[in-house]
Amino acid sequence: MKKLVAYITTGYPSLAFTLDLALALHEAGVDTLELGIPFSDPVADGAIIEKANLLSLQKGFKMDHLFEVSKGIAPQIDTLWMGYFNPFYHKGMDRFIAQAKSAGVNGFIIPDLPYEEAQKYKPMITQAGLTLIDFIAPTDPKERIEMIARDAQKFIYLVAYAGITGAGQSEDLQDTVAMIRDYTNTDVFVGFGVNEKTAKEKSKGVDGVIVGSAFVTILLDESISDMQKIDKVSKLAREIKSKINE
Amino acid sequence: MNIDYTPNDIYIPSPSDFDPDNLGHFGIYGGRYVPETLMPVLEALKSDYEKIRFDKEFWEEVHYYYKNYVGRPSSLYYAKNISDEIGAKVYLKREDLNHTGAHKINHTIAQALLAKKLGKKKIIAETGAGQHGVATATVAALFGLECEVFMGAKDVKRQELNVFRMKLLGSKVHAVESGSKTLKDAMNDAIRHWVTHARDTFYVIGTVAGPHPYPMMVRDIQSVIGWEAKAQMMQTHGKLPDKVIACIGGGSNAMGIFNHFLNEKDVECIGIEAGGLGLDSKHGCSLAKGSPGVLHGQLSYLLQDEDGQIEEAHSISAGLDYPGIGPEHAFLKDKGVVTYDHITDDEAMEAFVWLSQKEGIIPAFESSHAIAYLKKLKNVEGQTILINLSGRGDKDMIQAKDILKERFE
Repeated sequence: MKKLVAYITTGYPSLAFTLDLALALHEAGVDTLELGIPFSDPVADGAIIEKANLLSLQKGFKMDHLFEVSKGIAPQIDTLWMGYFNPFYHKGMDRFIAQAKSAGVNGFIIPDLPYEEAQKYKPMITQAGLTLIDFIAPTDPKERIEMIARDAQKFIYLVAYAGITGAGQSEDLQDTVAMIRDYTNTDVFVGFGVNEKTAKEKSKGVDGVIVGSAFVTILLDESISDMQKIDKVSKLAREIKSKINE
Repeated sequence: MNIDYTPNDIYIPSPSDFDPDNLGHFGIYGGRYVPETLMPVLEALKSDYEKIRFDKEFWEEVHYYYKNYVGRPSSLYYAKNISDEIGAKVYLKREDLNHTGAHKINHTIAQALLAKKLGKKKIIAETGAGQHGVATATVAALFGLECEVFMGAKDVKRQELNVFRMKLLGSKVHAVESGSKTLKDAMNDAIRHWVTHARDTFYVIGTVAGPHPYPMMVRDIQSVIGWEAKAQMMQTHGKLPDKVIACIGGGSNAMGIFNHFLNEKDVECIGIEAGGLGLDSKHGCSLAKGSPGVLHGQLSYLLQDEDGQIEEAHSISAGLDYPGIGPEHAFLKDKGVVTYDHITDDEAMEAFVWLSQKEGIIPAFESSHAIAYLKKLKNVEGQTILINLSGRGDKDMIQAKDILKERFE
């Protein structure tokens, strides 16, 4: 069974909504939740997730809200915090680790903390029983793939194309996936640009997909109620989960 | 002291005591904090830059354009009238006389030649005041490269002349509407574009910031300023200055003039941040009021809140309106090698008028911060002060007219 990882932006439109949506996604068959930490300058993200980040901050999102809401979510579904490095650095990695442990969160995805800079933090994260997810990009040469893949745990986040989240691009990933498989048995999940139309194609040869912008687009839809948003996101999650396992 | 070169010689960077480690760390600062897609690109740039860093042939080509196109060496001017007024000897390093009006052309020439050498046909840049954007658009025209410039929508408005110049030069200008709509957001979008076009696009970063090797590379290139100034000081004045002053946004003109003075024990380097409306209000003083953090690919001082969200900077000058600073400055501050202070919008505007009327030189708003510090300094009697006049004020005329209309109409 191929896995589905869902990204949602914490605190938009509200914290209560984030909690309800997370639990609904679990019901819908999502295997892992990427709980997005809103950041003022999300440079790896496209316009959709950037907008959700900024709106959540405008609504008064604070890190303490993340810690609090995670306590209701993480016991129900495998949860990772996805966020840019500065809040981790500023508040302290040790503090994030302690909060993650107390909420039951299983690890972190930090898109602007590449392998080299992550070395300083990996031992403390691993020692705490948490995982820092590694990224591999289609621009990576063989030597770099080997270096990253060797240590990778839980799953490898394979970036689907050179670009930012939510763009309609695609690249042939066959060679990259084959190289990764040479060095590790860790699962490979593809993220960036995955939606109900592309999921089947993008899941070929890998163990799962990561979906963000397709869900967040629904979160941003002003024309429907919160209830309808949750229904719509859940339905989309079910559809994608079934498509990747056809 | 003896200087064994003249300002007319070919400038080639030299290793610095403050060079970063192999991963680009200046102490804890610097590094590479970028999406994985860019890491191989930065690795390649690092090794490509290492190949040309001390390569005579490459710098000979740069020299050709510096001499014949930019007008280097830029002159060192003894500003007698303001010197008489404050009782110190003030020398101005006239980067304002460069082609395109500021020091930015120094690093765009060298970076574009590097891009060309690497076979890249497209270049991109972020810009605040528009000076770096114009300098990049200029070299794009010169070397036949395709160029796109990212500029905050707020800056597009306050620097409309530079926007027009970029378009006239054949570049595409993107007005960035997100966040504070200034330099920070322009850089976000430039990075997004770069990630998307990583394989064929060279990012011409406009200051000593960003992921390694940019902070070191841009500092090496801009150090032609201090290298010339040192020789010129010896030629015209017979000794080195007591103080060297430069304004700081990202910090390229300051690193450029400081670098060759950092090992001179008797020379004090002073960097001037944008004090905006004052340190208790809105400003751009990341060193004075910020704390270490990660933005735009580097670890350095940042204006941020308790959660690590980036705060908006403010300065009357678009070029200093940035919540971060180059990582080497952060390192030099912590080490106590360079002194840092600030000048407010009002003080800068006073200096803008002062230099215009006393010396007949209209400085850029950015450079006016460095000039203003002459009046803030205490006990300068008899001292020799070298100021990097990093740019001219032409680009600021519309804004200046608006601010000063009651005084001059």
